[in-house]
Amino acid sequence: MSKGFASNYRIVLLAACVLAMFGGVATRLVYLHVIDRAKLVRHIEQARRQIVVENAIRGDIIDRRGNVLATSRTMIELAVDPQVLRPQDEAKWPELARLIGMSLDDLTKIFNTKVSLANPDDPESRDRVIQWAKLREEIPESLYDQINALGIKGVYGTRAYSRTYPQNRLAAHIVGYVNKEGTPATGIEHYADFYLRGQNGWRESEKDGRQREMAQFRSRDVPATNGYTVMLSIDSVVQSWVEDELDSIVQQFKPDNAVIIVSDAATGFLMAMGNYPTFNLNEFNKAPMQAQKNFAVSSQIDPGSTFKIVAASGALNEGLVTPQTRFDCMQAVVEHMGKPRKLMPDDHVYDHPLTVSEIISHSSNRGAAMLAMKLGDQRFYEYARAFGFAEKTGFPLMGEITGVLNEPKKWSGSDITRIPAGYSISATPLQIHYAMGVIASGGLLFRPQLINEVRTPSGEVVHRFGSNIVRRVITEKTAEQMALMLRGVMTEGTGMAVEMPGYQVAGKTGTAQKLIDGRYSERNHVGSFTAFFPASAPRVVITVIVDNGHPPKGVAYGGVVAAPSFKNLAGKLIPYLDIKPVDSSLVRPLLAAKGARP
Amino acid sequence: MNKTGTHAFVNQLLVYTLVTICLSGSVGLASVWMQQQIATASNNIKQLETRAADLERRRGEINAEIASEQSPAKLEQRNKAWSLGLVQPTEQQIERVYESPELRLARKQADGRFGGESLSFFPVRYASGGAR
Repeated sequence: MSKGFASNYRIVLLAACVLAMFGGVATRLVYLHVIDRAKLVRHIEQARRQIVVENAIRGDIIDRRGNVLATSRTMIELAVDPQVLRPQDEAKWPELARLIGMSLDDLTKIFNTKVSLANPDDPESRDRVIQWAKLREEIPESLYDQINALGIKGVYGTRAYSRTYPQNRLAAHIVGYVNKEGTPATGIEHYADFYLRGQNGWRESEKDGRQREMAQFRSRDVPATNGYTVMLSIDSVVQSWVEDELDSIVQQFKPDNAVIIVSDAATGFLMAMGNYPTFNLNEFNKAPMQAQKNFAVSSQIDPGSTFKIVAASGALNEGLVTPQTRFDCMQAVVEHMGKPRKLMPDDHVYDHPLTVSEIISHSSNRGAAMLAMKLGDQRFYEYARAFGFAEKTGFPLMGEITGVLNEPKKWSGSDITRIPAGYSISATPLQIHYAMGVIASGGLLFRPQLINEVRTPSGEVVHRFGSNIVRRVITEKTAEQMALMLRGVMTEGTGMAVEMPGYQVAGKTGTAQKLIDGRYSERNHVGSFTAFFPASAPRVVITVIVDNGHPPKGVAYGGVVAAPSFKNLAGKLIPYLDIKPVDSSLVRPLLAAKGARP
Repeated sequence: MNKTGTHAFVNQLLVYTLVTICLSGSVGLASVWMQQQIATASNNIKQLETRAADLERRRGEINAEIASEQSPAKLEQRNKAWSLGLVQPTEQQIERVYESPELRLARKQADGRFGGESLSFFPVRYASGGAR
């Protein structure tokens, strides 16, 4: 009988030892996994578990041709840990100082300050070892590569996404900016933040003793969804010309404020909106608040003669007059609602009663007042409201005001003589612009639109915005008649100097005295010019407003300070937008055929 | 070898224990090898992700620089600095084609098929400086 290779006693002893060892291991496992589990798991989670947030990249803002107006890029904050600097790297310090644009003395001082001394006045404060000292903010990747190549131990950077505006001041009031806290403060950045901001992702994993992620222990990985691209209706080229023109206005007339607005006559989409003063979006923190104000929507001015289109349109639309109806504009006092009303003086003395067309082309204050009186206070007020005055245009960006137009029951006796001429009423430049847009569009008031499309980062269109009609203000026929009369302003009236033969410009000059200390000033004026062309099939509406310009000599009439800029701008837009001259042999050149609608 | 009795049982137990230990060891080694492979693959993925993020960052920076260089103000500056003399065309320099270019191309294509007869009947109509 074989006894095997061991005695019973030894085998039993060996088996007992093995079992005891297994038992010990099992006991320890029970202790670790059951009894002490909660404590150990908590400790491990604290020590090893990490949640890394993956920041979404904010979407771009582009113009209608795809030019980038706002984008996100990484910037590096460069810092130093003075405790780990090596003496052998000291020779590289001058090169580092040169790269980051800091004097070597300042750099050396930061590098050699290893302890922050305690405040002698505070008994509780103690000396503190410095392990982080900032060297420079917003270092681009390319520069950081050069700094890294120096190999200075202890100099390191922290990356963060930063908003940058490649076109600097271009369309500053429209694009807006994201402030240093990462909050979209103004403009499209604020308005379209929902589309632009994206959704941060996160990653749950574990880290090792050197704080490095152990990728194999990733338990959840939610990728970031980058923000959408917002395409504006603004055209960078047109906007650039507008801002150049504003520079020219500032150089020539030194105004307090100036604004130029260009929009598509057929849709109401804004193509450009420039303000003076303006600011550089990349240096928004240095810009005064006055420069950041969007004058086009946040300031109100007396519209002056540009407002005369309201009384004329209203009277024509109601069938009370025709373009040939004559009014005696030589009389200084007329009776209205049983009371004599003193009319505002006109700049010219007329030797014959003026037709409605002549009232518009010669910009007669008295004629406009008589047209409004013919309409009646209430109807005239309703037409003014219908043209969009005293209500927000619906401009998507914040800061828009309504302007002021009192109800007829609050009017003084002279208001019916002054309001039709654009006094005793305040309007924003954008309201004036879109009121002219009513004539250009064949009688429709558009809501100003700024966003064309919203796209995914890969370029797929998520949403496309269309034109937005607020209401019909006047009939197409009235709009045609008004366009014809506004052509007269250019051919025989106050806008003759900027007539562009062949392009059927229809527009209206405006000059309003400014209210200074409760009195209308003889020296301070708001000069304006608002026009569209070609009158028979309008393509663009352009408004130029110069607030308190100072021409070298004479008064700052709209025809002097604003109209020339219109002409310069229109001259550039004609080839750019391929606006064809009207062939007089093919169409009736002085008749607005159908507004601008397709 | 005795197949019955205490010694035989113990022998079998030892054999099974050894087999179990070997098996467990093999499973353990395989598990460790697998974990190592997972860790290696994960680290490779992480490195690729880091690389992709770095490339994305650099792409963003280059795009921003391109956008800046393409801004109208910069282009005008370059035009002046390099004396390129680029200006907008004046109205007099513009020749407008009133005919539909699509129709023109269609006729041109048709012309090839019909032996060059049709094109001469449809000359392009140019209007110098517009129609003024």
